[in-house]
Amino acid sequence: MKVFPEDLLYSREHVWVRVDGDMATLGITDYAQESLGEILSVEFPEIDTYVERDEAFGSIESTKAVVDLIASVSGTIVGVNEDINDDIGIVNSDPHDTGWLVVIEMDDMEQLDDLLDAAGYHDYILRQEAD
Amino acid sequence: MTWRLIPYQSHSAFQNMAIDEAIFRETLKHQKPPTLRFFGWHPAAVSVGYFQDVPKEIHVGRCRSAGVDMVRRMTGGKAVYHQDEITYSLSAGPWERRFPDGIVRTYEIISSCLARGLSELGIHAMLAEKSALARKKERAPCCFSEPAGKELTVDGRKICGSAQVRSHGGFLQHGSLLMTFDPAATAALIQSPAPPEQLRNRAVGVNELVETPVSAEELCEALRRGFCDALGVDFCEGELTPEEKAMSDRLVKKYESDAWNRERKKEDGPAV
Repeated sequence: MKVFPEDLLYSREHVWVRVDGDMATLGITDYAQESLGEILSVEFPEIDTYVERDEAFGSIESTKAVVDLIASVSGTIVGVNEDINDDIGIVNSDPHDTGWLVVIEMDDMEQLDDLLDAAGYHDYILRQEAD
Repeated sequence: MTWRLIPYQSHSAFQNMAIDEAIFRETLKHQKPPTLRFFGWHPAAVSVGYFQDVPKEIHVGRCRSAGVDMVRRMTGGKAVYHQDEITYSLSAGPWERRFPDGIVRTYEIISSCLARGLSELGIHAMLAEKSALARKKERAPCCFSEPAGKELTVDGRKICGSAQVRSHGGFLQHGSLLMTFDPAATAALIQSPAPPEQLRNRAVGVNELVETPVSAEELCEALRRGFCDALGVDFCEGELTPEEKAMSDRLVKKYESDAWNRERKKEDGPAV
């Protein structure tokens, strides 16, 4: 079973969140990248776009599917990982670190309370796979 | 749970894609049971995957002069020439427990249903284990030039090409089943490194495999029975709801627009 970093929060849409003050860095989890298979493209939002929690902020394409990227928190996009444009492979090879996707300046920190910790996300995946 | 079946009908490329997006959105929004829809394309059209680059993947001028429409799908995958074929779409939310939270397994289940349906026509289709071409730099833009994992082949030739979009745990899957394969037209309209004579060995149509040609309606009925038998699904024939009809009428403008088809700009808000 995969190990999920303890210092991250996780959504049920398989997106991780790293919090630094009111800044949230988002990426897809190792579980998500493995489910997707080889990732071919990422569609990023424009900088300064406002995204709502539970709405799509972009999409990701693997060999045979397009998957919406669902925002775990509301806020303004203040950064996107442009390194991915040079090496898309890092989303597969290092999803929890250099393969991060966007940075959101949050406007409601309480939304973080609805996210899972590493153990909770691990249990969530086990329940999903058992169904 | 009873699924809705929308029987085979032909529409323009733009109407077809608008209808499927409307069904998918409404399925997710109102937690509806799945919808299986069969359709044809009139006039003939080339559809491209969500992320494809139209000028790089399609012979745009040839499509125009042949009267072939071009449309960008919301599903992934590669370009398909829709002429003598039927397309299915299946929209389902995460509450439909027959499908797991995974792309490959969903492909596998749907392909099994299609294979069961094809077997009623005496066609023995197999699930391809993995993509014939593994490296992305080598991938051709044409859907029928290579099988992907869990797609259907007959004697190594692809008979159905499928693609998915997933959102909020639900999915829309498109798939095209060839009635006959026209490699010359496919190579003329879709940029492909393979010449027609090579493409001919990579794909095959249903009516090239049966003694007596079947109609689109007969093929759709066989596929419906395949879903019934493989998944134990009961179908109720239906049509679009007023909400779906209104939304699809609005979405047609998006699918007709150069902004969407050339630049992937969503003028109608988020995809789902």
